[in-house]
Amino acid sequence: MDRSLLRTMNGTALALGLTLFAAGPAPAAQSGNVAIRAGKIITNTGEVIEDGTILVENGRITAIGKDVKVPLLVEVVDARKLVAFPGWVEAISNRGMDRANENIDVAAFLDVRDSIDPVNFYFEDALRAGVTTINVQQGSDCVIGGMGHVVKPLGMTVEAMSVVPRAGLVLSAAPRRGKSQATQAQALRRAFGDLRRYLEGIVQEKRDGKDLARREALYQGREPSEGEQPDKGVAMKGTAWKVQGMELVPRWELDEKQVPLLRMVEGDTPAFVYCSSPSEVSIAIEVARDNGFLQRTTFVVDAPCWKAADELAAAGRPVILDSNLVHVENHPVTGEEVRTFVPGVFHEKKVQFALRSQNASTQSLWYQAARCVAYGLDRQTAIDAATKVPAKILGLEQRVGTLEPGRDGNVLLYSGDPLSVTSFVEHVFIEGVHAYDRSKDVRIKHLQTGAQPENTSASEARPEDRTEAEKQGDEGEEEEKDG
Amino acid sequence: MLASLSFALLASAGSPGAPELVAVQAGTIHVVAEGRVIEGGGTLLIRDGKVVAVDKSSALAVPPGARVVDYGPSAVIAPGLVCADSTFGRQLPAERTADVGIRAADNFDLYASYASTLASGVTTAYVPPARGRLISGQGAVVKLAGGPGATRFLSTSAAIEGSISSDARNTPGYWEPPIPATVDVGLGVEQRQLPRTTMGAILALRELLALAAEGGPSKEYGPYVGPELAQLLAKNRPWRMRAESVGEIRALLGFFGENGLPLVLSGAGEADELAAELARAGVAVIWNVPLRPNAPPLDRGKDEESRWPRYDVASKLAAGGVRFAIAPAVGGPASTLRFAATVASRAGLSEELVLRALTLTPAEILGVADRVGSLAPGRDADLVVTSGSPLAPTSSVIATWVEGEVVWKVKETAATVLEVEELHVGDGTILAPAQILLLDGRIAEVGRLVARPEGSTVVRGQAAMPGMIDARGHLGLEGSSKVPAARFELKRLVEPGDYADRRVAAAGVTSVILTPRGVGSGGTPSLAYKPAGVDLESMVIADPVALNVQWSPERNPNRHKAGESVRELLRKGAEYKKRWDDYEVALKSWTPPPPAPPAAEPAKKEGSGEEPKAEGEGETKKEKEEEPKDAPPKPFTGTWETEVVDPASGEKTRLRLRLLHEGEKLEGNLRCNLASDSLVELSGALSEGAISISGLGSRGRVLIEGKVIEVEKKKDAKKKKDEKAAEEAPQVRRLAAKLSWPGGELEFEAPQTGEDYPVARRPERRKEKSESAPEPKGKPKSPGINPDLEPVRAALEGRIALVVEVYRADEILDCVRAHEEVGIRPILFGADEAWKVAGELRGRVAGVLLDHRVTYSDAEMGTRSRNRYAELQSAGIPVAFQSSAEEGAAELPMIAAYAVANGMSPVGAIRALTSDAAEMFRIGHRVGRVQAGLDADVLLLDGSPLRVGTGVQRAWVAGREVRLR
Repeated sequence: MDRSLLRTMNGTALALGLTLFAAGPAPAAQSGNVAIRAGKIITNTGEVIEDGTILVENGRITAIGKDVKVPLLVEVVDARKLVAFPGWVEAISNRGMDRANENIDVAAFLDVRDSIDPVNFYFEDALRAGVTTINVQQGSDCVIGGMGHVVKPLGMTVEAMSVVPRAGLVLSAAPRRGKSQATQAQALRRAFGDLRRYLEGIVQEKRDGKDLARREALYQGREPSEGEQPDKGVAMKGTAWKVQGMELVPRWELDEKQVPLLRMVEGDTPAFVYCSSPSEVSIAIEVARDNGFLQRTTFVVDAPCWKAADELAAAGRPVILDSNLVHVENHPVTGEEVRTFVPGVFHEKKVQFALRSQNASTQSLWYQAARCVAYGLDRQTAIDAATKVPAKILGLEQRVGTLEPGRDGNVLLYSGDPLSVTSFVEHVFIEGVHAYDRSKDVRIKHLQTGAQPENTSASEARPEDRTEAEKQGDEGEEEEKDG
Repeated sequence: MLASLSFALLASAGSPGAPELVAVQAGTIHVVAEGRVIEGGGTLLIRDGKVVAVDKSSALAVPPGARVVDYGPSAVIAPGLVCADSTFGRQLPAERTADVGIRAADNFDLYASYASTLASGVTTAYVPPARGRLISGQGAVVKLAGGPGATRFLSTSAAIEGSISSDARNTPGYWEPPIPATVDVGLGVEQRQLPRTTMGAILALRELLALAAEGGPSKEYGPYVGPELAQLLAKNRPWRMRAESVGEIRALLGFFGENGLPLVLSGAGEADELAAELARAGVAVIWNVPLRPNAPPLDRGKDEESRWPRYDVASKLAAGGVRFAIAPAVGGPASTLRFAATVASRAGLSEELVLRALTLTPAEILGVADRVGSLAPGRDADLVVTSGSPLAPTSSVIATWVEGEVVWKVKETAATVLEVEELHVGDGTILAPAQILLLDGRIAEVGRLVARPEGSTVVRGQAAMPGMIDARGHLGLEGSSKVPAARFELKRLVEPGDYADRRVAAAGVTSVILTPRGVGSGGTPSLAYKPAGVDLESMVIADPVALNVQWSPERNPNRHKAGESVRELLRKGAEYKKRWDDYEVALKSWTPPPPAPPAAEPAKKEGSGEEPKAEGEGETKKEKEEEPKDAPPKPFTGTWETEVVDPASGEKTRLRLRLLHEGEKLEGNLRCNLASDSLVELSGALSEGAISISGLGSRGRVLIEGKVIEVEKKKDAKKKKDEKAAEEAPQVRRLAAKLSWPGGELEFEAPQTGEDYPVARRPERRKEKSESAPEPKGKPKSPGINPDLEPVRAALEGRIALVVEVYRADEILDCVRAHEEVGIRPILFGADEAWKVAGELRGRVAGVLLDHRVTYSDAEMGTRSRNRYAELQSAGIPVAFQSSAEEGAAELPMIAAYAVANGMSPVGAIRALTSDAAEMFRIGHRVGRVQAGLDADVLLLDGSPLRVGTGVQRAWVAGREVRLR
């Protein structure tokens, strides 16, 4: 899988005279300098530029317009038949990981960074669908799931892909498998009760002159972070509740398992709270408010939660919608089927909402936005729900979601209107790097022509499956022929 | 204008801006608080979701501007029921044996619909957090409808819920995954969780109290229960503990007595045995009635110690002075509460006590009596309205209110139950008292106590009887005195929705034998129909129901010719019948050749008259002669039908316009209930292709102006009728016109559905075509259908009645003899002198229809007069009353009353009005009696029908009440 991805991208680079990775001699492309001349640029700020140029330098857009002076040595991509559009933003996704960390109920100390698989097929597919920013988070089968990570689908390591590390904690008000809503609510409340008890305990120990926390920290090999005074803590921030005397405890001495949650109560970490039914929404709001992180909370809601739209509107926080946009239920008295278009309800109640794809390829963001338009939502609101709103939720409104000077050079080149089923993502640039070319996409070619991608014949073993000895044998043969 | 309108509304509701005042009225109101019951008409005033006042209607004036909702004198209002136990939410127990942190309020789905529970009258419910643990959490009390979101919780922490009963003795072991699970730490083992016995449970409770006092964590019960329990104890929350057996209850009483903690006992299967101790300790009991309806019965054990369910616990608790609430079975749905209460009351509990145990007592136990449980002023306006006593199994919930709003109401007219003191079945029998269930247009049950399907409307009254039958009426002829042929289908004249028709039915005459004025030589058909039927299907009882012939015209001097034409008709009919009989016999004995296509066989065997070949041959020729080919087209002649929408109400109404176009003149009639309650006779003229035609309707002058447009014929003609026309003509005509009447106007476009003026239209030719292959050789030949003789054949076969108009005694005897020869028992009409030969007529006639002269006297008799109806009936000859009028049929009961006033038996008069009339016309299987299976045509009377002064109060036709506008 990793090899084919590499090959796709390599081929792409060759086709446009650009080069990716360390394979070629043009470091300019890698540094993210490119000028894209597009037939039409939909900037998503309300402005549409016909026959314009987007200049990307060092991964950021520096100029955009009809008459842009392209500096020397910047590669110019001629796409005058194509439509430029900002990359879509996936507000939350629990894909792209080798395994979700859902075995421990309260696991704020986990980080999806350790789980993201850069060569996961998901990221390759995200490029095809034009999704250039992805918030990878834990799934909902948890109480407190762990730390998420915002990435771009480009790069061979998590570090290369990273856009925002530690991008928020996942909580779930939706009951875990086999649990009731009440046990879930209790577990959520207790997680914060436990934190408070732990902090009070540790402060008490310090006051009592015991130094158990430090000894434990040293035993575990922790060290004071840079700029931190090894013997001095800071007072606890936070709006909902505070533990007095935290200045006595240096932060590095605190149990790593508790720190992420403490940071959230202090208002430093965004929260993503899953809710599968409307009554869970009120529990989620209550827990967030009682622990001071409501103002940083985004609610990840399933379709039935439209019934709690009033509560969400009152909380004034955005929501991320399930990929299922239409809620279907039977009328309790007549038994008739009642269908509700969920984004329509939230739009009417003035709740900001972001769309979510079911998968990178099926019901992707463009498709979800198009469906919204088909259901009668106005076009700009639908597009915003997959660009600007998720960008804002992720705190990236100054970086992604629109094509403006200063924004990341995440540009999609569509063959037509972005919301049309007949147009395709032809090219993807991420921070000025040419990341995808449809004409060189071997998997698409395979689908369209039925041709087997190279070295993936069904009859033969795939190259990566072959043993090292066999591969060497192959090379030997070639050498012989050459000779 | 809108602003002024809304201001007017506000002003009418009292002072502007004030919340609306609602007055709910019913015959009886159970206030419950202070045991107060208001009988003989009560009023409840509601403002802002709260009860403002409640009293007798006579003592409590409804303030002007209040919205009045009157459920009628038989309805009963009680407080919304409080279900002291329920199954709402996903009640999964915690992992620990005691965990007070589980809140039932978190489990309850405020966004779900509780319609089925509200439909049973329950408006408030206790929600337990879970079951099956020593302490399973905190229960909540919630309204099942009403305000938004969390405002519906009356209490989110109503009690500490727990159990020491057998259900709480199987807590699985507790195991927490160690983090990280390394070699050093290990996975650990699960920790056993107790209790397993009653003794152990009490011990565990003791330990928990100790923990709460310490406030610290515990290895056995986890870190949370101590501090959390301490908080709840500080708030003095009641402990709601489940215990079933005497031992368990006694153990609980002991423990809670020692510690001075408030206890509420739930479950309480054997609490009655400890009633005295419970009363002394002041412990309230929530008794879960051990019965789960809609679930299979349980085997409870065969040995002597096995505890079988007992339903008298509540009555013994009551006797012992224990405060108790009744709840459905553990795990039983809240909607069964009312049923559980009826079971509880069978052990001799008074209705008042049971109602209290469903309302105020549970509200007190749950600590929410300041909001719900009674209808005292200041409480929430949560009510349940029932059709009778709220606890009687036969009464059903009509409506449920929560906080002054109707949250559930029964679907109307699903079923109607009439409860009367006196029921006249129609055949002379009288049931007193009696009940009748009308369901799906039929009488489903008659008896002392009948079923009450959900949503039944219960109507009480003095007496009931079947709808009356006018044995010979003209209602529906609209003044026409044309004499149709025997083959004419009279049902084409009637249609639903006429106001006069409904008035006749409301007066009690629900069926009419529609007979044309005058009799033709070949006999004239009659139709049995219900004027107030809502659609044609429910209107027509039988068509034809009888054939009318005339033996001796009343003033015919040629007496020697009397009966000639009838004899001739009968002879022809008999011949015709014989041909068919022979044919059928031959057909039965004939074996078709093996390869013959069998498709057309079955229909022919039955001789059902679908014979295509001979049928209508002469007719076709005639029609062709009548219409010369070069006749100018008359595009307006015909029927135009469509549906129009009432611009005011948005309701759909049928519109039918029939026009006859002669020269420049147009005449016709309009049927449209919007413009007129009755048929409007129209006349007008044609000018330059546009029509302008007007007439006087019941609401004033009606005018139609418009023209005909030709539209391309669609391929799929909707009505079968049109099919033929459609094939011939490629176009269909539509009439685009404006209809105006005093009070409104509308524009319509009606397609032409018929091309002739159909007052005396001939029946249409049958559509069936002979598609089948040539008939196999040797098959008996069908004699062919003669539509003119078909009714005679039906009469000869006894399928329809034969009505003979005959007057003189000798002629009556001749006539009866002539009919006897062909096996017919006729109905005599007129029959002035039938009384003279009554003895000879008995058993030989189906009945006698006399004219309006009930009493009869002539010079010979001096001042003495005889009651002809009474005499014939007492001689054993059925008689029936007839109006020979259109809407005058409404006076039929008066004719009968006069007959009774002059010596006729009242029971006999009712028979003559109902079952005797139905039997003589052979429609007794549909109408004429109040009997299960018959059509639901029933009259409700304000007194015994045997009294002359009694009137019809309400009438039902085919199960629907006849309503005048």
